[in-house]
Amino acid sequence: MTTGQTQSSPAPPVALETQRSVTNRARFWYTFRRNRVALVGLLIVVMMVVCAIFADAVAPFDPIEPHYTDRLVPPNGQYPLGTDELGRDIFSRLVYGARISLVIGFVAQGVAVSIGMTLGALSGWYGGWIDDVIMRLTDIFLTIPGLMFLIVWVTIFEPNPITIFLALGLIGWTGHARMMRSQVLSVKEMEYVTAARAMGVKTARILLIHVLPNAVAPMIVLATLGVAGAILAESTLSFLGLGVQVPNPSWGTMVDVGRNYLPTGKWWYAVFPGLVIMITVMGFNFLGDGLRDALDPTQYS
Amino acid sequence: MGKYIIRRLLMVIPTLWGVFTILFILAFMMPGDPLRAVLGEEYNRLDPEVIEATRERMGLNDPFHVRYLKFLEQMLRFDLGESQVHEESVSAIIGYRFPRTAQLMIGAMVVAVLIGLPAGIVAAERQYSWVDHWLMVVALIGVSMPVFWSALLAQLVLTQEPLAVFPVAGYEEGSVRHMMLPSLVLGAYYSATLARVTRSSMLEVKTQPYVTTARAKGLRYRVILTRHQLRNALIPVITVIALDIGGLLGGAIVTETVFNWPGLGRAIVPAIMRRDTPVILGILIFGAFLYIAINLITDLAYVLINPRIRYE
Repeated sequence: MTTGQTQSSPAPPVALETQRSVTNRARFWYTFRRNRVALVGLLIVVMMVVCAIFADAVAPFDPIEPHYTDRLVPPNGQYPLGTDELGRDIFSRLVYGARISLVIGFVAQGVAVSIGMTLGALSGWYGGWIDDVIMRLTDIFLTIPGLMFLIVWVTIFEPNPITIFLALGLIGWTGHARMMRSQVLSVKEMEYVTAARAMGVKTARILLIHVLPNAVAPMIVLATLGVAGAILAESTLSFLGLGVQVPNPSWGTMVDVGRNYLPTGKWWYAVFPGLVIMITVMGFNFLGDGLRDALDPTQYS
Repeated sequence: MGKYIIRRLLMVIPTLWGVFTILFILAFMMPGDPLRAVLGEEYNRLDPEVIEATRERMGLNDPFHVRYLKFLEQMLRFDLGESQVHEESVSAIIGYRFPRTAQLMIGAMVVAVLIGLPAGIVAAERQYSWVDHWLMVVALIGVSMPVFWSALLAQLVLTQEPLAVFPVAGYEEGSVRHMMLPSLVLGAYYSATLARVTRSSMLEVKTQPYVTTARAKGLRYRVILTRHQLRNALIPVITVIALDIGGLLGGAIVTETVFNWPGLGRAIVPAIMRRDTPVILGILIFGAFLYIAINLITDLAYVLINPRIRYE
């Protein structure tokens, strides 16, 4: 069926190279634009990012200041999603909550990508015992149940954003490492890499210029889906009462507090934050899935 | 084949050692004084000398490497130690809790297979049709739902009169009725993953020569689908299930907290609040062990079932 473009011809001249990447880009846009699910995902992600950045402008109320006269008001014209037990507007709190969730999602994935790509590249490039050790390490990290690892981690280190980034990065890097390793392995023996080595180009430079570009497409897909996973994991942690303690609200914590009011019929408090988590995670999943379809070269042949 | 089995078994050793080491380092860094956690208020009233002696006896004053070696030796004897809070061995706690968690995991798996497998097969058979499209969109939405939230929604909606068939929470000797809601919630989540994997696996198999041959022979559609396609497509599906056993365990823990189900989740969360290190570590080690065991079994099963699988 397909062997991918990587094995076609030795390094083409520069002009050809740019030409090929232009058609690739055009093809990517063509596929991506026609994928309505992916577009919905992109729309959701952009919307959430805008909410997070311009929270002050989007949110009609202060997310922290209590209004004791308006406690647990059901959704109405003034408070579109109702208020919480301190009379704070749930919609405004959700808008501010986007900051925390998105920052954690993006940064944690950034950590995972950095660890994974570095270890994967080393593993594939050097092979031998380095490869063995790193692959064993990925096995070990795959073996430890992620959620439990997170729970233990936040009891050891205070659950602040930095420790959460690290923890989510530590449980999320294995996929990136494996992908990067296989990318390196597939181009390592190709003529243009051999040529670069023969010319005495430094290893780091070869990896960066000749190997990394091949890994960008699958990395973007993995990372987009990874952001979804990180947001979900963070909200689960917050729901268990082990999340980041900050003045600004976290979505998972809101569901946790809100569930105490479910039995008395105050459904909006727990339902809306959960809905927002779902929509956000869904946005990243839709986008990642669409990107995979559009970037996957095996589909064209 | 024998060689492969031995190699696969030997590979478990470094993995286990690595897991033990990482978890031990985590436990070593665990803040708070376990004695203070156990004694609570009484800690301040006791003679400091008595406390010091107890610390010495419990090995809390030993340097890092002594405690590490002690820990490894304990692990080799399958000894997970004693809870520092309850007068109970960690193995006893796990022995009591895990069957309940396993019951939930199995229930969820059954639900997931019942929904996910047919959905994946239908989507693959009708590739690019609207059925395929919508099934996959629904599956993507499914994997985006936080389990804790869908659990709350299920509780909220299924307590309303015409729908209130199953108990909303509780355990009651693990009755099937009490099991229904948590299994449905967790299973629905997993069915989404399962549907996606089944679909792609079925699509891969569809173009294989043996399927073409079967068609050319004029075999009936149903026979080709079940005997030739599904059977071969199941291997990657099972691999994914096995690889995600940790995720299922995590999902079960979250589901337990919502449905008041007395499994591992209801042991680990209080243990963390009281800094009961042996219990926390024991459950984590058990989780890792479960993952290793299940993946070992599936890997070995493949070799036995499918003689074409050869490993280097």
